[in-house]
Amino acid sequence: MKRKLLTFVMAMAMVLGLASCGGGGTTSTDGSQSTTGSASSTGTSTAQNTDFKVGAIYINKKSDTAGYTYAHHTGITTAMEALGLDTNTQLVIVDEVAEDDNAVGAAVDTLVGEGCNIIFGISFGYINAMDQKAQEYPDVIFSHATGYKSNETNFNNYFGRIYQARYLAGIAAGMKSLETGNNNIGYVTAYGTEYAETCSGINGFTLGVQSVNPDATVYVKELGAWADEVNESAFAKELIDSFGCGVIAQHCDSAQPQIAAADAGVFGCGYNSDMTADAPTAHLTAPIWNWNVYYQKAIETAMNCTPDQFVTEMGGGAYYGGLAEGFVDISPLTENCAPNTQAVIDAVRELIVSGEWDVFSGVKLSYDIAEDGTVTINKTDAPLVTSERDEVKDDVVVVPANTEIVPAGGASVEDGVITGTMNYFVDGVKVV
Amino acid sequence: MSIHVVKRDSLSFGKKVLIYLGAVATALILGGLLLLAMGVDPVAYYSRMFTMGMIGNKIAYKAAENYLKIFVPLVVTSVALSLAFKMRFWNIGGEGQFILGAVAAATVAFQLGPILPQPVTLLLMCLAGMLCAGLYGVMVAALKVKFGTSETLLTLMLNYVALYFITFLGETQAAWNFYLDEESVRPIFANFSKIVSFPSIPIGKFGLNVCVIFAVLIGILIYVYLKYTKQGYEIAVVGDSPGTAHYAGMKVNRIILRTVFLSACLIGLAAAFKVGTVGILSTTVTDDVGWTGIIVAWLAQLNTIAIFVISALIGVLQYGSTAAAATFAQVDSSFADMLQGAILFLVLAADFFIRFRVVFAKKGGVTNGNG
Repeated sequence: MKRKLLTFVMAMAMVLGLASCGGGGTTSTDGSQSTTGSASSTGTSTAQNTDFKVGAIYINKKSDTAGYTYAHHTGITTAMEALGLDTNTQLVIVDEVAEDDNAVGAAVDTLVGEGCNIIFGISFGYINAMDQKAQEYPDVIFSHATGYKSNETNFNNYFGRIYQARYLAGIAAGMKSLETGNNNIGYVTAYGTEYAETCSGINGFTLGVQSVNPDATVYVKELGAWADEVNESAFAKELIDSFGCGVIAQHCDSAQPQIAAADAGVFGCGYNSDMTADAPTAHLTAPIWNWNVYYQKAIETAMNCTPDQFVTEMGGGAYYGGLAEGFVDISPLTENCAPNTQAVIDAVRELIVSGEWDVFSGVKLSYDIAEDGTVTINKTDAPLVTSERDEVKDDVVVVPANTEIVPAGGASVEDGVITGTMNYFVDGVKVV
Repeated sequence: MSIHVVKRDSLSFGKKVLIYLGAVATALILGGLLLLAMGVDPVAYYSRMFTMGMIGNKIAYKAAENYLKIFVPLVVTSVALSLAFKMRFWNIGGEGQFILGAVAAATVAFQLGPILPQPVTLLLMCLAGMLCAGLYGVMVAALKVKFGTSETLLTLMLNYVALYFITFLGETQAAWNFYLDEESVRPIFANFSKIVSFPSIPIGKFGLNVCVIFAVLIGILIYVYLKYTKQGYEIAVVGDSPGTAHYAGMKVNRIILRTVFLSACLIGLAAAFKVGTVGILSTTVTDDVGWTGIIVAWLAQLNTIAIFVISALIGVLQYGSTAAAATFAQVDSSFADMLQGAILFLVLAADFFIRFRVVFAKKGGVTNGNG
C-alpha cells in the first residue's frame, strides 16, 4: 500500500517537473515567434523567403549518408540553398516514417503545425495518407514522389524518365559487349514485371543494349526485395559464373553487383549514384537521379503561387521529367568504357532531349561510327515486340509471348503505361 | 572481496523520489551534452520535447489527438499486461496478441462494416479482436499448465509468427486478400475509416475519441477487479505462491488460464481501439506497445493508477521526441530514440537501486547462503 502511494507521488513529481519545463518552453518559443513576426513586417522579398517553410517525410533517417532517403535529402537541401532558403530553420523533417497511414498522417499534422507551406513525401506507401491530408489542409501543398495520385489544386506527384538514362547506360553496356565479343549481359533487379518502374527500366536498358549489339541478351535475375545486399552480390556472381555475363547492370540499392563484377574482372552499370568509387575497375556508368531539379522547380513554384494554383502552375498533377529537364542522367563515363561510347551516347541524348525520338517507340536506332569517331544515327521503323515469355499473373496469360506493343513506325508507349502498367519484357530479355 | 545484491527492506520516501528524479535528470544532462556537441540548444530542444511541440503550433489540437492515439493503446496494453504479471505469468507476447487482435478487428470492419450499422460493427470489431488475441494468449497458458512450457519463450516467439503473418497479408496481392487497396499497383493496406471508425466528441476544434473514455473505464474496472474481487485476490495469491493457492483450495490452473485469457483479450481490445481509430492495418500497427507496456507495468509496479500516469509520461516522451527532432536539422529520429532509451534505462536502473542494494563484502565475511 505504501509502495503504491509512493509510485503515485513519484509520477506526480515527474508530471510537475515536466510542467515546469513546459513553462520554460513557452517563453523561448514566444521569443522566436516574435522574431519571425518582425522579419515579415519589413515586407521585403527576403522576408517572404524567411517565412517559407518546406516540410519533408522520409522513409529512412535524415542523417543517412547513402541510399534513397539520402538522395532526396540532398536534393531538397541543394534546391533550398540554390533558392536562398535556410535549411536549418526553414526545413522541417519527420524521418523514419513507416508506410502507415496513421504515422504519415501524424507526421503531416506535425509539419502543418510547424507552418510548412509545402510537404514532400518520398515513399510510395504515403500515397493515400497524403491524398487525404491534401483535402484536409487546402492551404498547404502536398507533393508525393513515385505515386500516381493528385488533385487539381494542391497535390501532385513526381517521378522521372529514368528509362531514358537506362537506355544510355544500355548503349555503354552494348558497346562493351561488342568490344569484348561477349553477348551476355546480366541485370540484377529488385522486381520484374510486378512493378512498371523496374519493368520499364529493364526494357529501356535492353533496348539501349540492342541498338548497339542486336545479338546481345540481357539475363535478368529478380531479388523480390528492394534491398537485399547478400543476394545482390550472389545473383551478380551467378550471372557471371553460370551465364557468362560480361556486363552487370542493376536496379537495387547497394553497389554489391558492381563489386561482384569487379571481383570477377567483368564490367558493370550501377544505379542511383555514381558507383565508380565502389568498383573502379568495373564500372562503366550509372543511371542517376538529380532530385534537386524537381525540388527546386516545385519549391520555387510554391513560393510564387497560392496553394490552390500549384498543380496548374506545375503544368499538371504528374511531374515526369527526363533527360531534357536534367532530372535523370548518367554518371560520367569511366575509362573502362569502349572507344566511341561517349560520342554515341551524346548523339542519342541529343535526339531524346530534343523530343525527336523516345525509347519505347516503333523506331529503332542503330549507329555508324566513322573512323574519325563521328557518329551517324540510323532510324529504322521496327515494331516494339515483347520477349518470348508469356507474362502470367494469377495463372492467366496477360501478355502472350512476341506480342506487338507498338507497330513499326508507331508513336511511343504512353507515359501512364511506363509509370503504371507496363507488365511485359521486350525482345532480348531473358529472366533466369 | 565479493559483491552481493540484497533486497532492501525500506527506503525513505524522499530518497526514492530523489533517486527517480536523479535518474531522469542524469539522462537529460547526458542527452544535453550530446545535443550541445551537435550544436543544438538543449533547453530549446527539451522544451519542445516536453511540450510535444504544441506551443506555437497552429493546430495544437491535432497534436493532442495524435498523442491520445499513442496513449490509448499503450495504457490499455499496460493494464492488460499487469494482470498477467501480477500472477507472475511473464506475457511478453503483447506485440503478437495486439497484431492478431488488429487483424481480427479489421476483418470485421471490411466484411461486416458495409452491411451492419456502425455501432454494431464497432462492437463486433472489439469482440473479434478480444477473442483472437485472447485465444492466441491462452494457447500459451494452456501449454504451460499442461506441459510446463516456458511462457516467456513461447509468447516471445509467437510475436514473430504474428508479425510475419501481418507482413504476409500486407505484401500478398491476391483475389482473396481484401485487406489490400485494390486500386494500388503496389500492395498497400486498404483504408476502411470511411466505412467504420470510432466517433469523437468535439470539444471546440479538438475531437475527444471515445476510446479515451473506454480506456479510463477499463482502468477503473481492472483496478476494482484486482483490489476488491475474489478473482483479483486469487491472482495475487497465485502470483505470490502457487503452492499456497493450491493449499487454500484454489484451482490454480483455471486461474492461470482465466487470467491470461483476460490479459490477452484486453490487448486485443487495445488493438481494436487502435485500428478502429486509424482505420487501417499496418505492419507497425502496434507502435511497440507490447514492449513499452512491459516497461510501463514494471515502472508502475503493477499499480493501475500508476500505469495511467506512466503511460501518459512515456507517451509525452515518444510523441515529444518526434516533434522535437523534426525541427532540429542536426537531430534525427535515431537520436530521439536514443534519448528516450537513456531516460527509460536510467529510470529502470534507479528502480533497481530502490528495490535492492549492492553490498561489498570481504570473502568469508557476510554469508547469505550463496557463498
